[in-house]
Amino acid sequence: MMIFKKAFPRRTFLRGMGAAISMPMLSAMVPALATASESKMPLRTGYIYSPNGIIRERWRPTGRGLNFEMTDILKNWEQVSDKILVLSNMNNGASETVDGHVGGSSMFLTGVEPNKSLSELLVGTSVDQYIARKIGKETPLPSLQVCIENAAELAGQSNAGYSSAYTNTISWSGPTTPLPMEHRPRAIFERLFGDGGTDPVARQSRLERQKSILDFVRDDAAKVKRRLGLADNHKLNEFTEALRSVEQRVQKAEQTADVDLPDMKRPVGIPAHEEHIGLMYDLLHLAFQTDTTRIFSFMVAREYSELVYTHLGHTDPYHPLTHHRGDPVRKRQAGEIDVYHAQLFGNFLAKMEASKDADGSSLLDNSMIVYGAGMGEGDVHNQYNVPIALIGGGGGTLKGRRHILYEMGTPLTNLHLAMLDIHGIPMQKMGTRFGESTGVLDLSASS
Amino acid sequence: MIRYGSPLWQPAFTSILIFLGFIGHVYAQTSSNDTSSIEQYRTTLNTYCVTCHNEVLKTANVLLDTADLTKVSENPLLWEKVITKLSLQSMPPVGMPRPGEDFYTRFPAYLKAELDTLAEKTPDPGKTATAHRLNRTEYTNAVRDLLGVEIDGKTLLPPDNSGGFDNLGDLLSVSDVLMESYIATARKISRTAVGDTTIEADTVQYNIDPKLLQNDRMSEDLPFGTRGGLAVRHNFPVDGEYVMNIRLLKTSGSALVIGINEPRRLDVRVDGKRIKLLTVGGENTGLGLANGGADKVPPDFAQAQYERTADAKLEIRFPMQAGTRTVQVAFLDEPFAWEGAIPPQTFENWDKAKIGGDFERAWRDPWVSSVLLTGPFKVMGAGDAVSRNKIFICMPADKSEQEPCARKILSNIARLAHRRPVTDETTESLLGLYRQARSEHGTFDAGIQMAIEGLLVSMEFLFRIEGDPENMAQGEIYPISDLDLASRLSFFLWSSIPDDELLTLAEQAKLRQPEVLDQQVKRMLKDVRSSSLVTDFADQWLLLRNLPLLTKNQEIFPDFDESLRQNLYTEIQLFLGSIFREDRSIMDLFQADYTYLNERLARHYGVDNVYGNRFRRVTLDDVNQRGLLARASILAITTYPNRNSTVLRGKWVLDNILAAPPPPPPPNIPTLEATTAELGQRALTLRERMEKHSVNPVCMVCHNLMDPIGFGLENYDAIGRWRTEDEGIPINAAGKLPSGIGFEGPAQLQQALLSKPDLIAGAFTQKLLTYALGRPVDYYDMPAVRKITENSADNDYRFSSIVFGIVNSIPFNMRRVGS
Repeated sequence: MMIFKKAFPRRTFLRGMGAAISMPMLSAMVPALATASESKMPLRTGYIYSPNGIIRERWRPTGRGLNFEMTDILKNWEQVSDKILVLSNMNNGASETVDGHVGGSSMFLTGVEPNKSLSELLVGTSVDQYIARKIGKETPLPSLQVCIENAAELAGQSNAGYSSAYTNTISWSGPTTPLPMEHRPRAIFERLFGDGGTDPVARQSRLERQKSILDFVRDDAAKVKRRLGLADNHKLNEFTEALRSVEQRVQKAEQTADVDLPDMKRPVGIPAHEEHIGLMYDLLHLAFQTDTTRIFSFMVAREYSELVYTHLGHTDPYHPLTHHRGDPVRKRQAGEIDVYHAQLFGNFLAKMEASKDADGSSLLDNSMIVYGAGMGEGDVHNQYNVPIALIGGGGGTLKGRRHILYEMGTPLTNLHLAMLDIHGIPMQKMGTRFGESTGVLDLSASS
Repeated sequence: MIRYGSPLWQPAFTSILIFLGFIGHVYAQTSSNDTSSIEQYRTTLNTYCVTCHNEVLKTANVLLDTADLTKVSENPLLWEKVITKLSLQSMPPVGMPRPGEDFYTRFPAYLKAELDTLAEKTPDPGKTATAHRLNRTEYTNAVRDLLGVEIDGKTLLPPDNSGGFDNLGDLLSVSDVLMESYIATARKISRTAVGDTTIEADTVQYNIDPKLLQNDRMSEDLPFGTRGGLAVRHNFPVDGEYVMNIRLLKTSGSALVIGINEPRRLDVRVDGKRIKLLTVGGENTGLGLANGGADKVPPDFAQAQYERTADAKLEIRFPMQAGTRTVQVAFLDEPFAWEGAIPPQTFENWDKAKIGGDFERAWRDPWVSSVLLTGPFKVMGAGDAVSRNKIFICMPADKSEQEPCARKILSNIARLAHRRPVTDETTESLLGLYRQARSEHGTFDAGIQMAIEGLLVSMEFLFRIEGDPENMAQGEIYPISDLDLASRLSFFLWSSIPDDELLTLAEQAKLRQPEVLDQQVKRMLKDVRSSSLVTDFADQWLLLRNLPLLTKNQEIFPDFDESLRQNLYTEIQLFLGSIFREDRSIMDLFQADYTYLNERLARHYGVDNVYGNRFRRVTLDDVNQRGLLARASILAITTYPNRNSTVLRGKWVLDNILAAPPPPPPPNIPTLEATTAELGQRALTLRERMEKHSVNPVCMVCHNLMDPIGFGLENYDAIGRWRTEDEGIPINAAGKLPSGIGFEGPAQLQQALLSKPDLIAGAFTQKLLTYALGRPVDYYDMPAVRKITENSADNDYRFSSIVFGIVNSIPFNMRRVGS
């Protein structure tokens, strides 16, 4: 098998020395040697999923390398164009047997074909969760899963014989454990800020309050232990240790308590759709800014979404529009949804770029955000040649502003391996069958 | 005697040993266990047992060749194992040569007498955890009893570790995540409890499983004449305005509201009082999508939009007074009248229809999908909720009274929360929190709220702490204090904290007076809080917590839907509840002539003349429908998604009813499937496949115990329905217990089990004792178990006699000093 433009981590290289590896491969080791720990700032990782495919003409740039035209969609991210990598010719599994919607979402971060069943869920652990296993412990929330629609309100559990869990989330903590996505902004806000607001005074007073409670509990526990002569009781020490680690988190939060955050009250209820996605992006931005989590996954709509984008003047729902059958009006409207999603993502990128990390670099410099879809051609449900972009500086490991054309059919799991590599997580393989990785994607390729 | 120098003796001498067996069980007819009896026991052991259980083979680590029968008390661990096996007559393995019946009676009796005498002389109460964290259930109940606030612990706290029961002290640890949950939850609870008027609006969403059929009245808490919907307990934190949004079920593909071609009325009530009668549906401006509108060219967009959003207007804003109240939302029972033949609404056609895309039919009635409650808006006051009355036992008339009143309030509530008299130190610490918030927010209530918030995270609330008394040496035993006894009683019988009455008696050191203790336990069993013995103890004992997670193959068992699942759970809860509450003999579990059914379940069991969704007690004429082993919930959790399992059912009975769990299967066992095709002509019945076990000596030791019990239940299919054939072959439900008692069919199986009531009562006592102590029962507890069981035999094995036996037992009353 010929391998082109795959970054090759040193570990893999050494382990593979016995096998025949041709000399030109050595140049591919460069990014691997430059991984991780270059920046002391925490590395954030996000995956944004667009369902029902993306209209190709709106996405795919002409030209390659440094010289590519910004398309309708990419134009919205122009302000951070030096941090954009457009990765073309990648397949998201591309199984012929799995329905495109189901395969699109369930294989996107796992590379594993889902088991066709309504009750016995089986796919793979998703890449974001492999990362969370390593760095999730360092933040209050190991990872955050966000969506727009409330899956609980839908009848039945079936899409073409597959459980709707496959199309309602892209994150799996294990092959049988889907991580449900949260659609309520309030619930996410509470996880970030409790029941207060974002302004420094409210945050400060919440932290003060928590400290008072923690102080009381700590002092009281010490007195009780002394009174009962139980200084070395294992269970009670476990209690005080847990208390201490919560205290440390509160102290950490205090360090960022005076960071100016956009003023936000705790949202009540579910906003109208046109505000919902933007609000979710704001919350994700806040989550990164406050270092509450370093990993998120976000479905801007579920697969099969039947939302109607009335504010774009549409009367047909999203999913049927993407089955445009070449009808110019329907195809235009489907494209409008894609561009609209890209605009909102662009706003998010601008905020990420404007927010500074402690060392003066931008949040986006210290991030890797994947934006894309699980289907290449929504109209015919295939998983070939899916739209994928990787945005952010990767903590100094990524150089942007390129359109890279990989070998046709390069598995998307190769990208996952590359990002795991940047996180310093050695992994030989991801995915099975059509989704199976063939190597680590070379993100430094020039074109 | 034969000496066993090397393992090589085994095959050569086996036949000799078997030969010797025929002379081994001739006993001298002595009335006491004198020397000659002991010699005979030794001879019998040598003949039948040491073939496997010897120093060389070390089978199951039970070494009977060297054990000294004259010094039983030196090795209680070994001999308790032997007692268990011989009482059940599960050793020597079924099918191997066995000693006579006489040995099975006399030898265990000898061992028990020796061990019980030892326990009498030197009791060993074992050691319960010094610091025993409240689990999620206990925390939830404690908050209810302490503050009068009902919370859903499952949504607020992470689940606990479980080792059969989830209240075992050693397994209950504290993680960072749990600590954060405690802190966040304490804030929520305390603000609701005091009626914090600065509380921000919040949304709580209650979902109904979309697979639950809503064709009937859904709950005893809903008005008569309604269909579908739900009743939930909801906390309204303050007097104020609240908003309710009701969402209806939508189709999963196109997200259209189901069943709204015609107007329907939704009855919305709080605590039984109607707050609004809403109307939804029938406002279609064009041809309904489900009636062909979807096929129109061009499609009717206005209609589509209507069908997508018809439930958006189901919003009510209403004033409500503070407190935990029952919110009721249900359709008036006005079923849609269909013209022509209605396709059957079963799950048989559910998935087929869905996959075919034509599920979205107008013949459906609308179902409620979720109810969202948001608020408070326009706060009008703290209100007069139960929780405020519990907390504010005084109200300061002026500023000078504030601090004395706060002291009174906090010491009162801390005493109940910590289950013991409050030290001044604790009250002072709580007052510190009070003063801080009092000065920050300027109100008395805010100060009290903050102190309660702290109290709910305090170590003495979250842990039951049983410290050893001072000046006692390691290993010494002592009776626990009255206060610790009060907590043990309340966490055992209520899964919650002691109430004022119990605590007061403990403080006055009266709890150990026999008539006081007797009266208190009776009172506690009568109290509604003792329902936790069903919902918490029995649920875990019988593995009923597996029921919500159970899946069945929908092609084979289309009847097994969400409604059936919930009905099965209700039935078993009512059945177990009746045994406990009516203080019946626990033997009635296997022979009661009744159960609780509604129409759906009656159909499931094949019982006539039961109509409607309401559960009622029904007398069962058919003996095969009676008892625990005929309950479909039990039968369903002990099978696979697609077929019966005699192994799982046999194992369930051994584990839970006889407390004699078989060892785990050895590694590298061949699958049964590999042997199925032998007859070629037809598929083998499950029984035929399982009988292969008894051919293979490796399998038979355990399977000869499990499988026959499973065979006795073969007349029930994997969802507990009666059947007479398997794969077209008539069911053969004959089997034998290890003791040799034969049975044919489930009724006789239960009778066979009941022929040894002491085994059943002993097993039940072990389970209940484990739960009561919050630690695993071990060999040193067995004398106590036997004593409880024997005493309850005199009381016809009544439930309360076992509870009282536990309450008065050594392990429940005493403790060992230990590191």
